[in-house]
Amino acid sequence: MTAQPIAPNAPALDDTQPAAWLKAALAPWRRLMTLGGALVIADTVPAVGFAAGLALAVGALPQGIDGALPGLGLAAVSLLARGALSHTAVKVNTRAARAAKNGIRRSILTEALSGRLSDAAAMTAVVEGVEALDGHVARFSPARTAAAASPLILIAVTAIVSPFTAGILIFTLLPFIIGMALTGMAAGAESRRQFQALERLSGLFLDRVRALPAILAFQAETQQSRVIARASDDLARRTGKVLKVAFLSSAVLEFFSALAVALVAVYCGFNLLKLLPFPAPEQLSLTRAFFVLALAPEVYQPMRRLAAAYHDRQAAESAVPSLRRLSVEATRSTRPPRPGQAPAIAFHDVAIAYDGAPVIEGFTLDVAPGSIVALTGLSGSGKSSLLHLFLGLSPLSAGEVMIGETRLSQGGDLTDWIAWAGQAPVVIRGTLGENIALAHRGATPEAVEQAARKAGLNGALDRPIDERGGGLSGGERRRLGLARAFLKPAPLLLLDEPTANLDADAEAALLPVIREAARGRTVLIATHSDAVAALADKVVRL
Amino acid sequence: MSRSDSPGVARLKALIRAQEKAQRPRLLAASVTAALVSAGAVLLLGLSGWFITAAALAGAAGPAVAHVFNYMVPSAMIRFFAIVRTASRYGERVTGHDAALKALAALRPQLFIGLARAPTTKALSLAGGEASARLVQDVDAIQDRFVRLSTPWGAGAGLIAGVGMAALAGWAPALVVAGAAALGVILAVVIGRRFAEPAGQRLQQASGALKTEFAALAAAAPELQAYGMKAWAADRLAEHGDAVEDAAERLARAGGLIMASQSLAMAAGVAGAALAAGAGAPALTALSMLAAVATVESAGTLLNALRQNGAVKAAVQRLGELLDEEAPALPVAAASPSLRLSGADLAVAPPQRLAITGPSGAGKTTLIERMMGLRPASPGEILHGDADAAALGAEALRPLFAYAPQQAVLLTGSVRENLRLAAPSASDDDLWAALEDAALADRIRAAPGGLDASVGENGARLSGGERRRLGLARAYLRPAPWLVLDEPTEGLDAATEAQVLELLSARLHHSGQGLIVVSHRPAPLALCDAALTVSGIDADGRIQISARPRQAAA
Repeated sequence: MTAQPIAPNAPALDDTQPAAWLKAALAPWRRLMTLGGALVIADTVPAVGFAAGLALAVGALPQGIDGALPGLGLAAVSLLARGALSHTAVKVNTRAARAAKNGIRRSILTEALSGRLSDAAAMTAVVEGVEALDGHVARFSPARTAAAASPLILIAVTAIVSPFTAGILIFTLLPFIIGMALTGMAAGAESRRQFQALERLSGLFLDRVRALPAILAFQAETQQSRVIARASDDLARRTGKVLKVAFLSSAVLEFFSALAVALVAVYCGFNLLKLLPFPAPEQLSLTRAFFVLALAPEVYQPMRRLAAAYHDRQAAESAVPSLRRLSVEATRSTRPPRPGQAPAIAFHDVAIAYDGAPVIEGFTLDVAPGSIVALTGLSGSGKSSLLHLFLGLSPLSAGEVMIGETRLSQGGDLTDWIAWAGQAPVVIRGTLGENIALAHRGATPEAVEQAARKAGLNGALDRPIDERGGGLSGGERRRLGLARAFLKPAPLLLLDEPTANLDADAEAALLPVIREAARGRTVLIATHSDAVAALADKVVRL
Repeated sequence: MSRSDSPGVARLKALIRAQEKAQRPRLLAASVTAALVSAGAVLLLGLSGWFITAAALAGAAGPAVAHVFNYMVPSAMIRFFAIVRTASRYGERVTGHDAALKALAALRPQLFIGLARAPTTKALSLAGGEASARLVQDVDAIQDRFVRLSTPWGAGAGLIAGVGMAALAGWAPALVVAGAAALGVILAVVIGRRFAEPAGQRLQQASGALKTEFAALAAAAPELQAYGMKAWAADRLAEHGDAVEDAAERLARAGGLIMASQSLAMAAGVAGAALAAGAGAPALTALSMLAAVATVESAGTLLNALRQNGAVKAAVQRLGELLDEEAPALPVAAASPSLRLSGADLAVAPPQRLAITGPSGAGKTTLIERMMGLRPASPGEILHGDADAAALGAEALRPLFAYAPQQAVLLTGSVRENLRLAAPSASDDDLWAALEDAALADRIRAAPGGLDASVGENGARLSGGERRRLGLARAYLRPAPWLVLDEPTEGLDAATEAQVLELLSARLHHSGQGLIVVSHRPAPLALCDAALTVSGIDADGRIQISARPRQAAA
């Protein structure tokens, strides 16, 4: 028992902002993303075409419907082009998202299998965490590119037709941009808080569902449902306030854009009526007036789309911490030469902790060369974590492990030294022989055959096996794991629950195989089974 | 559609309907404002088109006509509609979200109670990560549904406003506008059925397959590392990941196709409305053209809602199935605390102390869970007084026991919250006394915040032994006839173990509680005056037990 304070989670390894990390991580797909953004910007061309078509058609209406036909045609074609273009942009942007998600997932997969995070957390990172990047790449990023360029392009086009209207648009765009920067920041902070509040509420509900065994045992259903009700109420009230602010800021933006369009409409109307209360800077025709009026809402559209995609960015940023932790490059590189004989192992005051949560502390043990030690104890007592130390799958947070003359903490990769068998050996699609040969590339067929026989796997080595282990019984699957251990000339054998979930007869049949596999090696076995522990020279209860 | 609903789904739908009723004022406000948003947008665009065209015609007719032209009303209306649209959009979002949050605040605890009342085995199977995460997503999907309840009103109002405006130019343009909106919806529904739905289903399947595969390979991580198979495993997972991305890409493309189909509907609407209205009244023609654009746009909001509805339906289905079999409401009167185990011909009652021993995996924990009604017992195996445990409901059995399992399930929260689970009204002194008796008080006192210190997610900030002792302290606080402890002193050194057991003995003496303890260590067993050995579970599910003399236990 220790008297240390309950430690908060260890600080993140790397404190760069999520946005900066995302930018760096997505750099390889920058070109595809730029193309996607460019396609969204290209949408301004059919937007102008549509406005022009409408304007030409309406402008020609007083002369009869026939004159309006070319304009109508242009409008219709522009709309169809717009549809085709937006479809293409979606295609490119989702392809970019797919490539980026695949690439990032691939880059974290190796680490995800390395015990840096709990299995559940690693799975969340690999599935949901990577998926959270989708909106950022496919929607937010092109929307941001378009928001920077499209309004200026459209205002420039407007300026050709009606410089005064362009002036109105620039004049209203400035407060729009400043407002967006200010309220956008406020709304960003608010909506981040709302995101967190919702997550907390979901988390509370999830936690109570997970704790149902304890809640039921203590008959605390009603009590806990009140806790959930209170938290939901509280969050409903607080989130309600937060949302009001967030919605208000987007309403302000919308108001600006509506005001700008109304201003343009009124200016155009008065200009056409020649009733402007000031000297007319230009004389508009119906066509020109209609054109700028149809184009005005388009000026604000990219920025509103950007605001709508804001939560995509947040989802991506909130996934960054777990992705970042898995994208750390592995540092173990040196491979010390394999000793010829079974080494001694000495644990000195070993501690293992994940994120400050201790699994085992102050563990000391001497293992003689060539002996078998069984580690027993309840689930969660750290048996498996001790075995994982040798493969670099659990962190040595204090103390030292000596393997012969080699220090585990010196960071060498000891994989070559180790043979492993667990309760669910991995099976690949292929033959039984191929499955065994995985353990030692370059083993001769005779050696594979011999390993199979020693493990008690009889029958043809070329019998096919599928990935689900089809064609193998539970006992045979363990034997496959042991056959791999036989095949690999490693002086250290680690066995993790080698007989778990086997019935007593199957377990008894496996014991001589385990004893044979242990011959000439130093062996650590983590087990619940008294029969397996009886094989050991020494039994250590954790 | 409700014909084939299972009882749970029907019950959940009833709960949702009740909340719709409770939130009616807010939902109504959201619907009205949604209608104003769409109508405002359509009227704004149509009126602007009419105004410009009419102004141009008046201007062209000379100053006399221009001066008579009533510009005040239309330009005021344009500003008015702009404000209406903005303000009602704000109102819609605030009231809609408010209703959703309030409805879910009421629904969540009801759902939780429903889940807790499901048959015990079903409730316990939810405690797994995947199942509970899915559950939370489903609840969130129902919340989104409340937000979207106003969409059809918006789309409807947009349609009425658009058709109404176009009708000013004649019945033909009105028909065209309605037709274009219908065309947009039909195209979107067809594309959705044909491409989006299958892609969505594949996405869900592929995500599930990726998770299953990841769990399997993560469990085999040491073997992968030892035999240099990690690259192979990563490749394999990457393939599954690619299947997920493929489905996601198809889904996104279907979305793109739907957007493109809306452009098509819009093009048909604009051109059709112009041709149908003709050149007779240019201003009204312009009006109906722009009305077509705005109407197709506002109908588009409906599509999103339609697409999400599938997800909501699936969520309601899944959640409802969890509520299907509410545990039968059996007598709530507590059963008798005197216990008889037919297999060993053994009868015990508080304040007796019973030790349970046996080899690993023989079924010791299963036996005590059956006694407590956390698992169904075999008929006749366990008797409470004269009643068969198999026939008694969990409701009748649970009041008898205070249980500290091997692996205590902790709430994410403070030490105090975890202890109060067992005794909601306990004073801090009681809590400290229980921690003291579990040899955990010094540790908690040293933690920042003491009783208010957070234990982390499921106690992640405590070591395995500390979690177990917090579970022990929690069980101490529950004043039930039996205290049931599964390996209570595991991981303690001999001196601490002796101290904990001495305090336990004093506690039992004081409270008059009985003790049932599972352990392989001699010291806890030495406290007991009866003992039984579990040797295994036979083929028809009965636990094989035999009584042992007291000395053998020690």
